[in-house]
Amino acid sequence: MNDVSLKIAIAEPSVIIRSGLAVALKRIQGIHIQTFEISSYDLLSNYIRLHKPDVLILNPAFWGIIDLHKLKDDSGHKELKCFALLSCLTDEAIVKLYDDKISIYDSVDHLKEKLEKLFDATNGTAPDETESLSLREKEILTCVVKGQTNKEIAQTLFLSTHTVITHRRNIARKLEIHSTAGLTIYAIVNKLVELDEIKKDM
Amino acid sequence: MQQHKFTARTRMSELINEDASLLSSISRFGISLGFGDKTVKEACEANAIDCNTFLAVVNFLSEGNVEINETYNNISIESVINYLKNAHSYFLDYKLPSIRAKLIDAVDSSDQSIPYRVVFIKFFDEYFDEVRKHMDYEDKTVFPYVIQLLDGKKNAKYSIAVFEEHHTDVDSKLAELKNILVKYYPAKGTNYMLNDVLFDLLWCEKDLATHNQVEDYFFVPVIEAIEQKTDANL
Repeated sequence: MNDVSLKIAIAEPSVIIRSGLAVALKRIQGIHIQTFEISSYDLLSNYIRLHKPDVLILNPAFWGIIDLHKLKDDSGHKELKCFALLSCLTDEAIVKLYDDKISIYDSVDHLKEKLEKLFDATNGTAPDETESLSLREKEILTCVVKGQTNKEIAQTLFLSTHTVITHRRNIARKLEIHSTAGLTIYAIVNKLVELDEIKKDM
Repeated sequence: MQQHKFTARTRMSELINEDASLLSSISRFGISLGFGDKTVKEACEANAIDCNTFLAVVNFLSEGNVEINETYNNISIESVINYLKNAHSYFLDYKLPSIRAKLIDAVDSSDQSIPYRVVFIKFFDEYFDEVRKHMDYEDKTVFPYVIQLLDGKKNAKYSIAVFEEHHTDVDSKLAELKNILVKYYPAKGTNYMLNDVLFDLLWCEKDLATHNQVEDYFFVPVIEAIEQKTDANL
């Protein structure tokens, strides 16, 4: 899971558990996590509606039993993933309604595994590959920097537009550069193109 | 009422010792240095700034992790808007132009044979335009809407939720430039100028991210609460 960023809301009345979990989550490597601490139910549904977090970690015993379906409906955020945050023995029937559970004794590795499980299943993220560009990717990058459209690149290199788009996505991921202006700098600095070849766009 | 780190009795100088990044917030509120032994309350009074608002913002910023546990009553929305506007002018009129100049100097100094200058400038200027559009929209659309709302006039065609939905981050492209310099720039030997630009970029990236956080998690919820009250009164 490289280059993934997640917004995680933690709803739990104890400030020690809440802030402790926030710190533990930030120690996870490879996922950029932004945490939000919520200590009252009224603010919870409002917050979810406005800010649409990716994950909600919720103490299921907090504020009585919470109707997750209703919470998702009310906030108009049906894709919200919910973890039950467990600090004591809890009825399985309640925990079953959640996507997964986190115990206050989980290690950072456990947390990472659980988050990866939840998001790998939906995204199907490919395993890490090498960061250097393949020959084909370099060809495509050169075309992009020269200002060709996906369709033009497809015609020049005898590929489908779909393949070009996939290559471009991989290039952006490998280099961690997403804008054309950024790719241009990369291409010039690495001498993939000469400045006068792209001069008309400057 | 939740206990916060800084109170009206905290000394201004202590505020900065505790968290140096608050220096920029203090100046965005319009408080100048040279506080002597003034407390927060005294410094705010001397500069005609609403003390509650000042404390709410600095506590929000210094607590590091965003806590959504409070409804901010009795703060002055006008002061928050002024604060945000000052921040915009800091980025657009001072910080980004200064980074641009430093970037050009650093690139020029490193290798004359390869003309990187033009590509770096193009990248930076595109980014600068993006930030300017982003902040102009807030200055010209969002803030006037809020000021009308404070007068009890609710524009039926707009709401703060519309803003929040389209509010994108402006720091990620700066992170991209940082990446390019760190990973791909063919620097030779020691380049203090380049390091200097990088420090500025890192700081500015963080500053922009927290600025956006103030808008998203401090400003927007307060405005939304006012909208709901106004709707209920109609």
